[in-house]
Amino acid sequence: MTFAERMLHIDRRIIFLVIGVCTLVPLLYPVGLAIKVSPEVRSVHDHIESLPEGSVFLLSLDFDPASKPELYPQAVALLRHAFQKNLRVIGMTLWVTGAGMADQVITQMARDLGKENGKDYVFLGWSPGVGSLIITMGQDLYKAFPSDYYNQPTKELAVLKGVQNLRDVNYVVSLAAGTAGIETWYVFGKDKYKFELGGGCTGVIAPGLYPLLRSGQINGLIGGLRGAAEYEVLIGKKGRAVAGMDAQSATHFAIIVLVILCNVFYLSIRASRGKADPR
Amino acid sequence: MIFLRRQLPLLITFVMGLVFAAQYYVPHPASEQLLTTVNKWIQIIGGFALVLGVTSLFHLHAVKIRRKEAGWGYSFVLYAGLLGTIAVGLWANGKEAVNGALTAFGWMYSYMMVPLQGTMFAILAFFIASAAYRSFRARSREAAVLLVAAVIVMMGRVPLGEYLVPISGDFSQWILNVLNTSVRRAILIGISLGAVALSLKIIFGIERAYLGGGKE
Repeated sequence: MTFAERMLHIDRRIIFLVIGVCTLVPLLYPVGLAIKVSPEVRSVHDHIESLPEGSVFLLSLDFDPASKPELYPQAVALLRHAFQKNLRVIGMTLWVTGAGMADQVITQMARDLGKENGKDYVFLGWSPGVGSLIITMGQDLYKAFPSDYYNQPTKELAVLKGVQNLRDVNYVVSLAAGTAGIETWYVFGKDKYKFELGGGCTGVIAPGLYPLLRSGQINGLIGGLRGAAEYEVLIGKKGRAVAGMDAQSATHFAIIVLVILCNVFYLSIRASRGKADPR
Repeated sequence: MIFLRRQLPLLITFVMGLVFAAQYYVPHPASEQLLTTVNKWIQIIGGFALVLGVTSLFHLHAVKIRRKEAGWGYSFVLYAGLLGTIAVGLWANGKEAVNGALTAFGWMYSYMMVPLQGTMFAILAFFIASAAYRSFRARSREAAVLLVAAVIVMMGRVPLGEYLVPISGDFSQWILNVLNTSVRRAILIGISLGAVALSLKIIFGIERAYLGGGKE
């Protein structure tokens, strides 16, 4: 077996070790490279920035703990921005397994920024139906959620004063790890009830949402940890996402180097054997 | 019996399909009220579907345990986890926190489910790296194009890439905005046309697979 062949069949544990080191070292010793803000993230930020005080902002945290590393920092940054702007915040989730985490992030951010439950924000929790739930919210919010996550009757909440259905919501952002998520909010919600819609998503599903972005069906898109880091830069409060960008830089480059090396070995073997495809 | 098993479901599907396709274009209050009511029904039926799903899961794994099929130990773990969570959830009245303090149910969620799911997802990074090394090879011209595009996007999406090759960020955005969007849009249009065709086939009773098998 030649050197190139040996390298092509390298023990996968060595690759695991490389990725582990590339993740860990930048987290322990951050470099803090500059983060350029993309237009799609700036659109979400600018829209929230343009809303007058007291506007209604609905944040749908449509993810479960598996996507926490990417979407939790997005939620933190968006909630911080919305609370700082004194918007009325409605939180909810379309994912039953995400309800506890969504409640934690909203409660924590509200506490940090001195906001009061029922007056400045409400967490509606989860209800079955997905598309049907969104339609019901579009028809009558109180039929979809007669009570909030803490069993308070929603009709009596000051934060929902003047809000009858989704037409009364100024901006909806869905932070999605898949379906149900941004597309669901567009198809069953925005198309009929005409509210402005923005999105945040994991890096892996972001490319699939670009058609919605380019056609204006969503006005902005925060993609993955990078998107969260860009949002943190925009609101001037660097957090977990910015801290994680060095680690992401290092792992991306480790993978690029591994792929290049693998192809160098592959092509050298192919050249030595003529056109035969080495496995 | 044929009427209840075949004709009635086909009739309900036909009527509901046509009525709610038309409802979208009729903004009359009565039409909107109908939509609200029916959506509430769907939500309630969705709740029952959850019960049905859990019952089916219980049954499937009970059979595996009883027959001691391969991997029956995992089924036992599933049973223990499911019943344990239900019991603790009922005991905590479905609350994860009371006055800011975690209940047992909240503790299970925060210290078992969250780290377990997070770990599963995090492990993917290691497997993706390993898989990329083993399979991301320029075996053909098409594979080489894919490889180059992937490298550019990976570089352009991280600060280090933009720092080393400043144009990589803009190039990556162009790939996502132009090449990726046009192809995705074509796929989406295809899927949507397929969904419309399938919906029409179901509404008009041409496609009947959803009725299930069994005797007529």
